[in-house]
Amino acid sequence: MKKTFSLLALVSLLAGANAEDKLVIKGSDTLGAKMVPQLAEAYKASGNEVSFEIAAEGSSTAFTNLLAGTGDIGMSSRDIKGSEVEEFTAKGMEIKDWVAAYDMIGVIVNEKSGVEELTTEQIQGIFTGDITDWSEVGGDAGPISVYTRNTSSGTYKSFQEMAMDKRDYGSDTQKMAGNEQIAEEVAKNENGIGYVGLAYSDKDGIKAVAVDGVELKPENAKDYAIARSLHYYTIKGQLSDAATKFLVWATTDKKALEVVERVGFIPAGE
Amino acid sequence: MSDSNADTQKGSSDFEKRIFQRKGFTFFGLGLQDVIRYFFGGNASLAIIILILICFFLAKEAAMFFPDHHRGLKAYRSAGQEFVDYIGQEIEQHTRIYSSANIAYFAEVNRTSLEEDAILRAQRAVLANVESLTARSWKELERGLDNLEDAQEDLDDLKESEGALDASALSKLTKDIAQLEAKIVTVRAKLKKEVTVVLGSEKAWDLGGGGIGISSGARAKVLDAVLFEAFPDSKEDHPFIVETKAASRAKKGLEAEKLAGFKDTLKALQSAVRPMKDLHSDLKKIALESRKEINSLETAPARRDAWLAGAESTDDPAEKARMLARAGEVVIAAPDLSALNAPIYSSVDEHRTLLATLQAEVERLHKDLPDGAETESGRKNLKKADHYYGEFVTTVRENRDKIQGWRHDKSLGLMASVGAFLMGKDWVTNSSWHDFYGLLPLFTGSFLISIIALVVAVPFAVSAAVYVNQLANRREQTFIKPAIEFIGAIPSVVLGFFGILVFGETLRMVSQLEYLQWIPGFPMAERLTILNAGLLLAFMAVPTIFTLTEDALNNVPRALAENSLAMGATKLQTVFRVIVPTAISGIIAAVLLGFGRIIGETMVVLLVAGNKIKIPDFTEGLGVIAQPAHTMTGIIAQELGEVDNGSLHWRALFMVGVILFVISLGVNFTAQQILKKLQKI
Repeated sequence: MKKTFSLLALVSLLAGANAEDKLVIKGSDTLGAKMVPQLAEAYKASGNEVSFEIAAEGSSTAFTNLLAGTGDIGMSSRDIKGSEVEEFTAKGMEIKDWVAAYDMIGVIVNEKSGVEELTTEQIQGIFTGDITDWSEVGGDAGPISVYTRNTSSGTYKSFQEMAMDKRDYGSDTQKMAGNEQIAEEVAKNENGIGYVGLAYSDKDGIKAVAVDGVELKPENAKDYAIARSLHYYTIKGQLSDAATKFLVWATTDKKALEVVERVGFIPAGE
Repeated sequence: MSDSNADTQKGSSDFEKRIFQRKGFTFFGLGLQDVIRYFFGGNASLAIIILILICFFLAKEAAMFFPDHHRGLKAYRSAGQEFVDYIGQEIEQHTRIYSSANIAYFAEVNRTSLEEDAILRAQRAVLANVESLTARSWKELERGLDNLEDAQEDLDDLKESEGALDASALSKLTKDIAQLEAKIVTVRAKLKKEVTVVLGSEKAWDLGGGGIGISSGARAKVLDAVLFEAFPDSKEDHPFIVETKAASRAKKGLEAEKLAGFKDTLKALQSAVRPMKDLHSDLKKIALESRKEINSLETAPARRDAWLAGAESTDDPAEKARMLARAGEVVIAAPDLSALNAPIYSSVDEHRTLLATLQAEVERLHKDLPDGAETESGRKNLKKADHYYGEFVTTVRENRDKIQGWRHDKSLGLMASVGAFLMGKDWVTNSSWHDFYGLLPLFTGSFLISIIALVVAVPFAVSAAVYVNQLANRREQTFIKPAIEFIGAIPSVVLGFFGILVFGETLRMVSQLEYLQWIPGFPMAERLTILNAGLLLAFMAVPTIFTLTEDALNNVPRALAENSLAMGATKLQTVFRVIVPTAISGIIAAVLLGFGRIIGETMVVLLVAGNKIKIPDFTEGLGVIAQPAHTMTGIIAQELGEVDNGSLHWRALFMVGVILFVISLGVNFTAQQILKKLQKI
């Protein structure tokens, strides 16, 4: 039995050497919408013969796919949960974490809003539903409309941990499918507030507020209260050479870091 | 002509002869006729088998929900989270009092500076409008600046690079930079002109809903300020804006001084709850730890088995030993719940004293709040604070017994799980605290949207069917019928996009119109609302109801209508007194099937309903339609994609699916029954 397996492995190895290597990358929308596809293009452009399959459906899917063996690399905008680690150990697998980049979550309001700055306490109050009117945080009177990501999103969870002291979202919040939709709704609603990744914070019609007096700018990453790291996750010992090469390139090469910066994240090296 | 006809007849009779002859083709001893019969019969039974399989699959997955959910609820109680949430409720009620009073306070403070605030808001609005109207040129300018920066960086790199300076590259870069700079100057000049033109248009002065108009004198100054801000020479604001800001601040300060007593009351109100909040957050941490232990016990056997299985399969002795050791480390013993809950029990007395102080404080401070206010919003919110004070007192009273009698090991029946699902008011998932699966917010959302859709669609669809079937001439019939039925061919995701991008915005703009303010819920703050979704679904339901109603009208025996006409009744009398009443059960069935179509629709509600998981606030009366909501179909589509197979959340979504299935089944069954009645006539 074992012999057949190793024979099969040999055959597939040989086949792999001839054909193009294919990397399957799955997980977070924050990483998978712009950054990883552009990295993949840049990687191919610099002469590497690989093809990519990228699916961005939320950080949780990174782990379900790694577990099921349907993905080589998982993208996640949050740290892996304890329960997820357990699932991997239960299958005798060990997970490896690569920091892909740093991201700042911008709290955005409508461009016409008079609010320029919020404290973390105020942000917590708004998103948990304790504060319901703009006049309470220094704006013109008006009921606050809160837009959040949906529950599967890594941003949903990391925002809850970083800005809301792990409290649950207020029941008045509206769950949107992605960064783009939140930006869209806030741009159309003068009383809207929401959060998006740094890359989405310069859309038309919205502006990012300063959090605790720190503006949303890449150079402020260290002082900004709502910043997080983005990850690639892989399974130890099961990673192909092509995948390792790509990950090393994506996290260290100068060209890759330029791409990371261009799509609005902060390269991990800095 | 007649020849070819004869030919086909001959041909078809040949064909028929071949099929229907007794002898000839056989297959496993079956004649061709039998083969065809079994083929058709097989297809029919396959459909039924698949239906049964679907039912079975749904039932199997959903049936596991209640035991799992029950276990979750039990863990929620055993860990003391239930107790902690009682305290949380009291704090929440207090926060509501404070928040309403706070809004009232700010309404009062801001009342004298409304004019200045309106000017500042207008300036921001106009600036934003102008920027979005001239967005393309701004992008061009931005791109130009980026290019210039890149070129300059390249130049710096070149100068710093080692070795001989490449003279030709250097001169080329300098030339490029000069060109880029020149281009930026022209783009900026063009932009300035554009902005000036746009500023003259009405579009730029669209201040949005609820904005207070500003005087024409201020308007001229705002125009000036916008121009100034659009092309900033320095970081300073325009002097007029600086001045207005200062004036607004000064007026607010003056007002705040007058209301110092109010502010003190608010401050006292806020600090009164602090000891309670501290207790709450301490207990929350303890309960969360207990919950973690309970949860890890549940997965422990599986984890140990996995390590053991891993050890079994490996040949490497070192690896095997490591895995066996890990398996041994897994703790399987149940945590001592009484010990875990000891801090919670010992906090009961502390909570009682804190609550007594808090209640006395709130009662006193609530009386200290001003009785009246100068502004409408101030009065409204003070009244709200009053109302919330009543709720606070009720909550405290109701919770007193719950807290005193609370035991972590009090038994919890399976029916409690069913009740918590069907009657639960919260749907909270992926929580760091506890996941709640309550159907009510989703059910009410689905139901409200369906009702709106029916109220709108039924008159349109039924009257269109009556018209086409009874009153229209042949030419109208051949046009109207296919046109309405074509609506059914529009993919619902297309309608959803239309709802987000066009319809929602239009609806909100219409809702701002002065003479429509009598409609409940207007003006609407949101684009994505129950109303928006309901109207789109009404549009989708029209073809279903129309076609079925028309069928029902067609089924009315001709003799009835002819008799009526012969007796001298007019066409209209015949339609309304004879035909429609005869077909009424068929029409009701059509409406019911339309309802089934609406409640099962997913894409439109997911995109357009606004996805707010909360029971709509019915205190606003009919205005409830302007609120966003979430639906049963929407939640399945939104969450099923990312949950783990077999998890409680996954099963909860299946259970929602079963509820939807039962509703659809009930509606269809009722419709069938009504139709059967019709056929008896």
